[in-house]
Amino acid sequence: MKINGVTIEDTFAEAFTMRVARIVITGRTAQWAREAAVKLTGFATSVIGCKCEAGIERPLVAAETPDGRPGVSVLFLTMDKASLPEQLIVRLGQTVLTCPTTACFDGLPEVPDRLAVGKALRVFGDGFQSSKVIGGKRYWRLPVMEGEFLVEETFGMLKGVGGGNFLILAADSDAALAAAEAAVAAMTDLPGVILPFPGGVVRSGSKVGSKRYKNMVATTNDPFDPTLRAVTESRIPEGVNSVLEIVLDGTDAPSIDTAMRAGIRAACRPGVKAITAANFGGKLGPHHFHLRKIMA
Amino acid sequence: MSDAVVLTLREQPKHALIADVIAPDRFASLDATEIAALPVVHGGRAAKLGDFFKVKGARATTLRIEGDLANVEGIGTGMAGGEIFVAGSAGRDLGVQMAGGRIDVSGDAGDNTGGARPGASRGMTGGEIVIRGNAGDELGARMRRGLIVVIGDAGRGTGRGVIAGTVVVFGKAGPGAGRFLKRGSIVALGAIERPATFRYVCTYLPSYVPVLLRYLRARYDLAIPDGPITGRYQRYAGDMAELGRGEILQWVRGEA
Repeated sequence: MKINGVTIEDTFAEAFTMRVARIVITGRTAQWAREAAVKLTGFATSVIGCKCEAGIERPLVAAETPDGRPGVSVLFLTMDKASLPEQLIVRLGQTVLTCPTTACFDGLPEVPDRLAVGKALRVFGDGFQSSKVIGGKRYWRLPVMEGEFLVEETFGMLKGVGGGNFLILAADSDAALAAAEAAVAAMTDLPGVILPFPGGVVRSGSKVGSKRYKNMVATTNDPFDPTLRAVTESRIPEGVNSVLEIVLDGTDAPSIDTAMRAGIRAACRPGVKAITAANFGGKLGPHHFHLRKIMA
Repeated sequence: MSDAVVLTLREQPKHALIADVIAPDRFASLDATEIAALPVVHGGRAAKLGDFFKVKGARATTLRIEGDLANVEGIGTGMAGGEIFVAGSAGRDLGVQMAGGRIDVSGDAGDNTGGARPGASRGMTGGEIVIRGNAGDELGARMRRGLIVVIGDAGRGTGRGVIAGTVVVFGKAGPGAGRFLKRGSIVALGAIERPATFRYVCTYLPSYVPVLLRYLRARYDLAIPDGPITGRYQRYAGDMAELGRGEILQWVRGEA
């Protein structure tokens, strides 16, 4: 299969089941909401080193938020049920709580599995906190020097999908970067999906474990490193000199599917030779995104 | 089972009619005949609900009441769920000690709405009451939880002895509002006569008020302007003669 002369390899991306929460942050201005979201989602590229993966899903206009202020929707993922509230409590407490003018709401109100995140954060109020029940939901009011921080008592938790991906194999690094940027632009703001890496792009794709160091969980993806073509079992076709990866996490497989379709189509541009994907032979992750099926 | 039980007042009671049996969760398992047979007290004498109301529908948790009910007391007493829509005004003790559900009154409501029974330590402990007209005295007295909204004016002693919960008054709140308030909030969008035992603490944007007012706008289709949603409020802590953990939030009109 070829799109705009770019080969779509007959392979699939292998993704994992993760736990996901959607956090709605509002602020006096869109900029302040974004400031909090950027801090919240900082150092949250991969569970390998960060214990969580997070990213901005999309900006929200005032009419979409509970308090009628501009906001940002964030998706936050961990590998298991227990670590999601742990990470959220620590991170919300150090980023959104500290950020001027912000408030924090649950973005998955219909989900039955609830995390008592706001309930844990309330103790920052040192006994001066108070709560309000509005429309059946409890909100905590934490007194802060600026005035008051509002946080919803519980947040919904879903089984999400982490590790959707595709690799852009290009003639040179400029072409790879341009294609990756085009792919990210096409996928940005799509509902239910985040791209947790810097600018949505990964240059250091990894393989599981190490050939040399016992303690390493993940090391460089040498089959796709162009500089190692002569010394490893390379999977890089002739004419390819740079590879970039796009990693996607989402609330469900169809959202990943839709985003991959948009991203791959945008990445098929001059200088790109092929699009492929990373997998582990289908043995590790239950979600398989077949590139040709997605693009058919 | 029908979508709603409809009670239509067919004879205006000559005296106060105590109809504290009117509650949607009680009607949920009754047919029209059984509802009509429920006991009421008229002028101190035993009577039946059907003596005063035409009953239509059965076994529903939505209840519509039509007619001028200014003389009918205790509607929604102790209700724990369901909805009551009153097309007109309601008498005193509306929603006394209610624990859940919603009451929506298109007209006025009498004294002690959402309050406590005589001698009881707690008023309503949950649910929502919306009065689109004016409310009488002692609105929400001793309420422990829940929400009461008055679009018009409220009488004397609004929120008297509130333990927790929220009272919102769009119009004027009479003298003694919030006296003996322990926790809980009175949100005043109009003028309010505060007791001297409330202390001014700051003028700010209370974080939950926009959420609350937007909820009311959407849930009850109330025409709430943007001003109170985006505006600042003066916060008065009190009652300092009690715990002092409650608040009167007075909207600063004309800002935002």
